[in-house]
Amino acid sequence: MKYILVFLLIGLLSACIEISDDLTLNNDGSGTLRYKINLSASKVKVNSILALDSLDGKPVPSKAQISAKINEFVRILDAQVGISNVLVEENYTDFIFKFSCDFSSIKNLQDGIKLSIAQISNEKITAAADQFWLSWDGNTLVRSIPSYITQQIKNYKLEDAELLKEGMYTSIARFERPVASFENKLGTLSKNQMAVMVRTNTFELKENQHLLDNTIVLTPR
Amino acid sequence: MSQLFKIVLGLVIATLITTTAQAQLLQIQSEHLLPKDAVTVFSINNISLLQKISMDELVNYEFMSEVHQELFDGSTSGKTLKDAGLDFNQRLNLFYGKSNTHELTGFTFGVSDKTALFEVFDDFQVVQSPLPGLEIYGTFFNQLLIKDNKAMLIRIEPTMEHIDAVTDSIWYARGNEMPFDFFEEASQEEQILDEQTYEDNPNTNVFPEATENPAVKNYYELRDSVQVILQQAELARVIDEIFVQGINLYNFDPRFAAQLTHNAEGVFYLDNARNLDKSEGLWYFQTVLPSLYKDIQELYAGNVILGDLFLRDNKVDFEVEAQYGPALGSVYAQMNDAKFDQNVLAYIPAQSPAYFTYNINLEQAYEQAYKVLLPLLSDEKNAQIAMNVLTLELLNEFINKEALFDTYKGSMFGTFNGIKKVKIKKIQFDYDETFAYTEVETETEAEMPIFTLGFSTARADVPELVLKHMARLSSRVQRFENYWRIDNAILDAAPLYIINTGKLLIFTNDEDLARLHPKGYGKGALGKKQCKLARQSGFMYGSVDISKTLDGFPTEVLRPRNAEIVSSLKGKSGQLVLTSSETNAEHTTFKMSYSYEGTESTGKHLLDLVNSLYLIYTLNP
Repeated sequence: MKYILVFLLIGLLSACIEISDDLTLNNDGSGTLRYKINLSASKVKVNSILALDSLDGKPVPSKAQISAKINEFVRILDAQVGISNVLVEENYTDFIFKFSCDFSSIKNLQDGIKLSIAQISNEKITAAADQFWLSWDGNTLVRSIPSYITQQIKNYKLEDAELLKEGMYTSIARFERPVASFENKLGTLSKNQMAVMVRTNTFELKENQHLLDNTIVLTPR
Repeated sequence: MSQLFKIVLGLVIATLITTTAQAQLLQIQSEHLLPKDAVTVFSINNISLLQKISMDELVNYEFMSEVHQELFDGSTSGKTLKDAGLDFNQRLNLFYGKSNTHELTGFTFGVSDKTALFEVFDDFQVVQSPLPGLEIYGTFFNQLLIKDNKAMLIRIEPTMEHIDAVTDSIWYARGNEMPFDFFEEASQEEQILDEQTYEDNPNTNVFPEATENPAVKNYYELRDSVQVILQQAELARVIDEIFVQGINLYNFDPRFAAQLTHNAEGVFYLDNARNLDKSEGLWYFQTVLPSLYKDIQELYAGNVILGDLFLRDNKVDFEVEAQYGPALGSVYAQMNDAKFDQNVLAYIPAQSPAYFTYNINLEQAYEQAYKVLLPLLSDEKNAQIAMNVLTLELLNEFINKEALFDTYKGSMFGTFNGIKKVKIKKIQFDYDETFAYTEVETETEAEMPIFTLGFSTARADVPELVLKHMARLSSRVQRFENYWRIDNAILDAAPLYIINTGKLLIFTNDEDLARLHPKGYGKGALGKKQCKLARQSGFMYGSVDISKTLDGFPTEVLRPRNAEIVSSLKGKSGQLVLTSSETNAEHTTFKMSYSYEGTESTGKHLLDLVNSLYLIYTLNP
């Protein structure tokens, strides 16, 4: 886990980063989660950090070590109940990482990720990690940004404000039927009315980690 | 060890104190206590320093409070180093030495008031002295020896190899079995390293049990006893050598004695030849190739580095002389017999925060080294070395050395031109009206330190040949009118530019230099004064505007505390210049000058720097 965290720290604490979470939810509660991290705007900085032995007192892992740890996470997650088709694309030229998995239910997804993180980090599940960030009752989706990410965003340094303003977090929720309403004022509805997207820059997200929280109500079946 | 260092720090700082310094001739005193095994010594001329730095100011610095706390440990509150009983008319000599069996560290100094001194060294207990007139005091780690008004604080550590060798010898002579087996030890090490487990189970038994008979020691108890006995024996030897036979570094090495006559605030001595002799890294040579090792020793004979530290008006000068024996000296002399390449000066911008020039004659150095080293290697009756010698001789015969050393002559220059924004490509996520996602390549700017490195060459056709073929193999290598560009060569993101002027081969990530100044900076290049200094320096010249360089330093790659140190130094720093004399077969001299602008004294400037560092460290634990 420390490799993933160190890697996330590289991006979140000191670089311009673009993050996208894209949740496709079927009527039966199953679906697909796609998660993308884009550090291409900061590849000079990331490459220079990767060239160091340590940063801020923590050892800097090599690309091979990062890759090995990511793949270990994928293997563990793929073995969780209700999780399938776990895929990761790693691009170490532009530093773009794409993750996707299918899930049988929202609960399976959240439990699977939580248990996998605990297993890979050999740590007990923390209170922050134990919180649910998605809930679905068949008609209404309530979602927030996962605590693993918001915890890191809190660590942003204020002196990096300009860099943070260039970073972007995009959160998309897609459905099988049209959206009736949604609460977040930053949200936009897709032309086919079956998806909602909320976006903000990472600076704003540091100021308010609930900025992208949303409650989306779908039209009745 | 940290205790010793704190005491040393206290005394070093004490030497930066001035009261009403009495002008009197410096007598050689505390130097007579330096063990002859000391290979590194930093000797501070207290009197000279005392005239330049104010003690009353010094004791008000924040960092002094800790030194006082450490030395006076609360029992003597209100006292300062003024009251420590030190004789500031004598030198303070810090030393480090290493023999094949022991390490020695410590310092020697003058004593003016013994009663006051023991209020500082209040945890030292009296130890029985073998000699009349010599007082010995000790703690668990350190020994304080006082004779008349001179004192030496010394710490002796036998090397682990020596302790193990003696312990093993006694252990097996007593008929004991092996004290541990390999696998058991490996698992024990694992337990010790697992801090969590160790803390959770403080009673974890990772060391051997005591023996059933309390009068018989187990292996580790025996080793502890051996360590103590070896320390005591070495201390007795040092005492005998210095106080009975009168042998010390001062009369053992006349070069050190001569150095002490310099009118400098500080003197530095490093005997490289003896350092080499005691180097653990040469164990292989010592044991497997003893005759080659002997030859290397002879090669290094007479190799010593001597330095003087001068505090001048708005300037600190550190002058160093590297002396060497005739064999090594002949190689250095040939290597540094190089004409300064004037061409480099056009490529150093006048505003460059840091740059260096380096002139050597690699071909002559190679020929001389071949002449000196090959006979040594050829005499060795070792298969591996014989093969290496054969390979070397064949290469020497077959390789076109003229072409090789004309291509890379050895002379070079480098510049740091600050931080610039460079264009890089980035991928951006784009979403259409149905939020379908695509990746779009766009341009962005990233900050990057700008470096230039250039080499003198007489065969510009050779690198050109290599680049032409590289361009055929990869589209990332492109030829432009005055330069070559290799895309994404720097950190997988920014291009590297190669300028082949015919006389210089220049590598840079500065697009401006490649595009706009491929024939040099012209009027924007280094000024006449700087050019003259660089030309007149020996084989090397370096200049760093510390403030400008630090301004451009990417502090985000540092730990936060270190980043703050760098930031704080930005306001206090001056100019650092490194020069060298011409080298001959006997020596090379170097000079490092640190200068700054302002009206404050040199001592105060230095103390301010020290205090900034201290404050940052203590306020950000």
